[in-house]
Amino acid sequence: MKLSVRMVVVLTSIGLLSGSFLATVGHLTKERIALNKQREIEEAIIQVIPGTVSTQKLYEERDLSVYGGKDEQGTVIGFAIHASGIGFQDRITLMLGTNTSLERTNRLAILDQKETPGLGAKITDAESFLQYWENRDCSGAISLRKPAARSAEELLPSEINTITGATISSEAVLGIVNSSLEHTRRLLKEGKLSSEAQDVN
Amino acid sequence: MSTKTIGQEFIKGLWDENPVFRQLLGLCPTLAVTGAVINGLAMGLATTFVLIFSSLVVSSIKKLIPSQVRIASYIIIIATFVTVADRFLAAFFPPISKNLGPYVPLIVVNCIILGRQEAFSSKNTVWRSLIDALGMSAGFVLAMLVLSAIREILGAGTFLGYQVMGAWFEPWIIMILPPGAFITLGILLALALHIEHRTKSRK
Amino acid sequence: MTNNAFILQSSPHFKDKDSVPKIMYAVIASLVPAVAASLYFFRFRALVLLVSCVATCLVTEALFLWLRRKPLHSLFDGSAVITGLLLAMTLPPSLSVELAIIGAVMAIAIGKQVFGGLGYNIFNPALVGRAFLQTAFPVAMTTWIPPATLKIQTATFATPLGNLRFEDAIARGTLTPLKDLFTGNVGGCLGETSSFALILGGLYLLSRRVIDWRIPLGILLSLTAFTGAFWLANPEKYASPLFHILAGGLLIGAFFMATDMVTSPITPLGTWIYALGIGIVIGLIRLFGGFAEGVMYSILFMNAFVPLLNRYTRPRILGEGRKA
Repeated sequence: MKLSVRMVVVLTSIGLLSGSFLATVGHLTKERIALNKQREIEEAIIQVIPGTVSTQKLYEERDLSVYGGKDEQGTVIGFAIHASGIGFQDRITLMLGTNTSLERTNRLAILDQKETPGLGAKITDAESFLQYWENRDCSGAISLRKPAARSAEELLPSEINTITGATISSEAVLGIVNSSLEHTRRLLKEGKLSSEAQDVN
Repeated sequence: MSTKTIGQEFIKGLWDENPVFRQLLGLCPTLAVTGAVINGLAMGLATTFVLIFSSLVVSSIKKLIPSQVRIASYIIIIATFVTVADRFLAAFFPPISKNLGPYVPLIVVNCIILGRQEAFSSKNTVWRSLIDALGMSAGFVLAMLVLSAIREILGAGTFLGYQVMGAWFEPWIIMILPPGAFITLGILLALALHIEHRTKSRK
Repeated sequence: MTNNAFILQSSPHFKDKDSVPKIMYAVIASLVPAVAASLYFFRFRALVLLVSCVATCLVTEALFLWLRRKPLHSLFDGSAVITGLLLAMTLPPSLSVELAIIGAVMAIAIGKQVFGGLGYNIFNPALVGRAFLQTAFPVAMTTWIPPATLKIQTATFATPLGNLRFEDAIARGTLTPLKDLFTGNVGGCLGETSSFALILGGLYLLSRRVIDWRIPLGILLSLTAFTGAFWLANPEKYASPLFHILAGGLLIGAFFMATDMVTSPITPLGTWIYALGIGIVIGLIRLFGGFAEGVMYSILFMNAFVPLLNRYTRPRILGEGRKA
C-alpha cells in the first residue's frame, strides 16, 4: 500500500473506532450525568424553599435560571433563583429562594465558590452569613451593614450583615443577588414566569 | 527494545524514572489538584487508567501505524480513554468530578502518557508495555499521594477528610492554595535530588 | 614569599570603607525609633514578636549555613537580624508567637537561603515571610487590636486603610485624622503605625547614604500623583495623597523594604522605574484591589522585575553601538 494511503486509512480507522466507542460510552452515561445535575439543582431548591415537593424550570438564560417550587397540590409556593457572578477569587454560584411576589427572601444557598478558606469562604457558613438572608425584605435592593452589626436584631428588614474581614466576598454575593432579583422581577412583570405558559410548551 | 527484567521494568517507575520527581513530567495536574488527598488519588487513578489502556492499545497496533502519523494516532487513542474516564467520574462520582474540573480532560496533554507511548510502548511488546505503564502509574500515584498528603495535613489538618491534627493546630491555608503546591513540590524535588546525590556518591 | 609592594588582582581596586556588616548595622540603628514606637504603642505584644522573629531568623540562618557547609561567621553580618526585625514590624500585634516563628523560618528558608543566601535572593526575605503568613493565615493576619495608648477594650479594630476601603469611612466621616497617623496612635502592624519614627529612621539612612534616595522619593512621587488624581477628581470617594502616604505600611516599605540593596536595581534609570512602579501598584491595589493595603505585594511584584531592569537599563560602554 502506498504510504499516503496507509496514513489516511490508519488514522481514519482509529478515528472511527474511537468515535464509535465513545458514542457507546456517552450513551451509557448520558442519563446518569443528567440525573446527577438535576438532583443537585433539586436538592438546592428544596433547601431554599422549604415545603417544596416538586420543582419546575420556569426560565433559563446565561448565568440566571428561575425555578418554581411547588407544594403537593402543584401550586407554585416560591421562586428559586439560580444565579452566578464574579466573587473575590472565582465565580460564585448561588440559589436564592423567594416568595411568589418576589418581596421576601426565603433562604440563600451557595452552590459553588472558591473564596479564601477561613475568610471569604464563610459565605457558605450559616451562622456568620447565610442566617441573615432568611426572611429579608427584598421588594427593593438589599443592602449590606458595614461595619457588621453585633446581632441580627440590629439589622433593618432589608439589611444583611457583612462577614468581618471578608467585605469583598459579602459584597459579591449581595451584587449577584440584587442584580438577579431585579432581573427576575422584570421577568415576572413581563409574565415570563408563569408555570402554565411553560406547561403548554 | 528494553533489556531490563520484568521486575526492573516495574520498579524503575517508582524511583529511578519516577515521572514527577525524576522526569518532571505531568506537573500541571500534580500542582493543580493535590490540595486534598482524595483529589490527588482520583487524579492518580484516572491517569493510571488512561496510561494502562493507551499503552496496551499502542503497543498492540504499533506495527500498523506509519511513523508520520504516530503522534496523531496516539493522541486520538489517549483522548478516547481520557473521555471515558471523564464521563465515568461525572456519572458515578459527581463530587470528585466537580473538584477535578477541567483537569480530567487535560490528562490528554499530560506528558507522562504521550511520553510513555513515544518512548516505550511504540518500541516494546504488549506485556512489557503493560508493566512499564503499571510502574509509571504507580510512581505517579505515589507522587500525587505524597504531595497531597503534605498539603492536606498542613493546609487543612486532615487526611482524606479525617482530622489528624489536634485542635491546637492552625491550618496553613496557603498549602491548599496554588503557592503551597509550588513550595511543596520544590522542597520534594530538592529532597529527591539530594537523595540521588547521596546514593550516587556512595556507589 | 609575599610582596607587599604590588597587589595583583582584578578590579575593583578602590575599596570603600563600607562593608556588609557596617551597612547592616546602620539599618538596624535606623530602625531604633520605629522599634521604640512599637514597644510604646503595643507594649508586651511588640516585645514578644520582635524577640521571637529575630531569634528564629538567626537560628534558621545558622541551620541553613550549617546544612550548606558555609562558614558560620556570616551569621553576624546583621542581615538575618534585619530580616527578623522587619518581619516583626510588619506583623499584626495580636499574632501568636507560633505563627510569627513560622513566618520567620519561611522568610529565611524560602525567601533567602534557597536562592543561595545573602546577595542571591530575588525577593525581600522579610516580605516573603509576611506574604507566606498572609496567605497561610488570612484571618490572624487581618485581625487588629487597638494600641495600648488608646485605652479602649475591643476585640477587633480596623486599620485606617481598612476603614477607608471597606467601611466607607469618608462617607461616614470616620476617616482617621492625619495627626494620629503621624504619631502612630492607630491600629496596624507593629512598626508601621508611627510615621514620625519611620521618617526619623529614613532620614538617618539617607544622611548616611545607606539607601538610594531615588527609591523613597520615586515611590512617594508616583503614589502622590496616582492617588492625587483620583482625590482631585472626587474627594468624596477617595482619600488625599497625604493620607495614603502616612497610613499603612507605605513609609516602612519605602524607606526600609524597597531599598534593600540585594533586591533593588543597580542603575539609576532602573531604580527610578522600580520606585515609580511600586508607587503605582500600591495605588492600584489600595484603590481598586481586593486588599486594603498593597505595599507588600507591590514591592514583591517590582522585586521580580529587578533582574530585567538591571539588564535593560545597563549604561552603554563608551563607543558601544546602540544595538550592541
